[in-house]
Amino acid sequence: MSNKMSKPTINEDNYAPLLSPWRVKAKITVIFFVIIIFLLFSSWRTGVDLNALIWGFSNMTQITDKLFPLNMGVLGPAMNTLFETIHMAIIASTFSTLVVIPVSLLAANNITTNWFIYNTTRLIMNILRTIPDVVLAVIFVGLFGIGVFGGIVALFIFSLGILAKLISETIESVDMHPVEAMRASGANTIQAIAYGVVPQVLPQFTSFSLYVFEINIRASVVIGLVGAGGIGQLLMNQFSFNNYGAVMTIIIVIFAVVILIEYISGKIREAII
Amino acid sequence: MIEFKDLSLVYPNGHQGLKDVNLKIEDGEFVVIVGLSGAGKSTFIRSINRLVTPTEGELHVDDDNILDYKGRGLRKLRTKVGMIFQSYNLVKRNNVIKNVLAGRLGHTGTIRSVFNLFSKDDKALAYESLKRVNIDEKLYNRADELSGGQQQRVSIARVLTQKPKYILADEPVASLDPPTSHQVMQYLRKINKEDGITTIVNLHFIDMAMEYADRIIGMRAGEVVFDGPVSEVTEETFEEIYGRSIREDDLRGGVEEDVEQNV
Repeated sequence: MSNKMSKPTINEDNYAPLLSPWRVKAKITVIFFVIIIFLLFSSWRTGVDLNALIWGFSNMTQITDKLFPLNMGVLGPAMNTLFETIHMAIIASTFSTLVVIPVSLLAANNITTNWFIYNTTRLIMNILRTIPDVVLAVIFVGLFGIGVFGGIVALFIFSLGILAKLISETIESVDMHPVEAMRASGANTIQAIAYGVVPQVLPQFTSFSLYVFEINIRASVVIGLVGAGGIGQLLMNQFSFNNYGAVMTIIIVIFAVVILIEYISGKIREAII
Repeated sequence: MIEFKDLSLVYPNGHQGLKDVNLKIEDGEFVVIVGLSGAGKSTFIRSINRLVTPTEGELHVDDDNILDYKGRGLRKLRTKVGMIFQSYNLVKRNNVIKNVLAGRLGHTGTIRSVFNLFSKDDKALAYESLKRVNIDEKLYNRADELSGGQQQRVSIARVLTQKPKYILADEPVASLDPPTSHQVMQYLRKINKEDGITTIVNLHFIDMAMEYADRIIGMRAGEVVFDGPVSEVTEETFEEIYGRSIREDDLRGGVEEDVEQNV
């Protein structure tokens, strides 16, 4: 206490200010303890502990024994279905990047000043985004039957939701001064958007489209598990036949392709931003 | 000819932007509007191309009451009224020539402009406009690579490419240093003389207003409190307009240089 009393006050020469006001410090401390409490409560309710983790890893050898040796016979069908997966991702990504152009303009409040249209578009896109990709796949496989078509529609809806959010927010952050200048020189709305907005969002637009393509490759594997075509469906089939050597081969193929595609699109994105 | 008839503008928040403005601006005049910030200079200028819409009275441009305009008519009005802004309002990521060609949008069909299909004449006109403000060698530079003064010259070239009958300039030199400010004003003056384009400029620097204007309009609280040829203007006139004595920061300063030598 006496130490505290001897601290220099604000009027003295060697007064050293706190880096943030004590109120902010107190807030951060409280938040920290709240998070700790949530963590402890959650692990108590679910009954997980570190022992389970260690115990689980001791079963590793059992699994690796089953996964190896690799079954190279599945490589042919794996390659075929892999291309199917990539085709699905390409088609879904292309259509969603086209459709997202008008949608994201309607969901940007600096372009769409009509309160009703803006909020309705936002609401629909938010609802779409809350549906997980697997659920979408289950719905569309139900509608269109087992196979790629349902998968493509599911991926399209899934990526449209993501793109609409990312791109409408990019549009909302553009500099509106050039648009004002174009309106003032007699340009109509479409011209003002094409000349004032599009050049400003084009790099991010391209980058997000590539990003969504990457996501679609991974998602199309997952939705294949519920029968939406592609390499995921093959994986599921081999799994149900307990053909673990083939499963491991497929996993390695997927791994290699995902890494490769992410590398290439990462390079492209670096180049344009 | 532009004619204000009992023109008033009240913003939705109740602020009176313009109050009973009555005046006539003849073709070819170079008018400078002076006044403190908030006096209604911007509202005055932006009424003429309807970036803001006056709430009462009439505003005639070439004998037509522009307050009735909407849609196509409004766009047609704006193609003949060019505008220059304080912050240049260029597309920073685009190159200079594309920015200048944007001045043709009002004269170009939607489909053609979306696909960048400007006519040869338009492109020649854009290049000619760049030459007139001596920035043609920056043709393919991105706008954000240019200095403030250069960007404002590009925006003047954009307005020239629009082939307007009137030019409105809203604080065109407020973000520039004194020598560059003079350069920009000299270009505006030169274009006004050579092409006979009626030019209306907002300024808050007294010395620049005196140097370049034919006619000065003084505004305070939305009202026109002075209107007369520059020869009638004295320091007392400005004190009357500003409602206080003249201070150092009401002057831009800087020496006048010749445009041609400058670049």
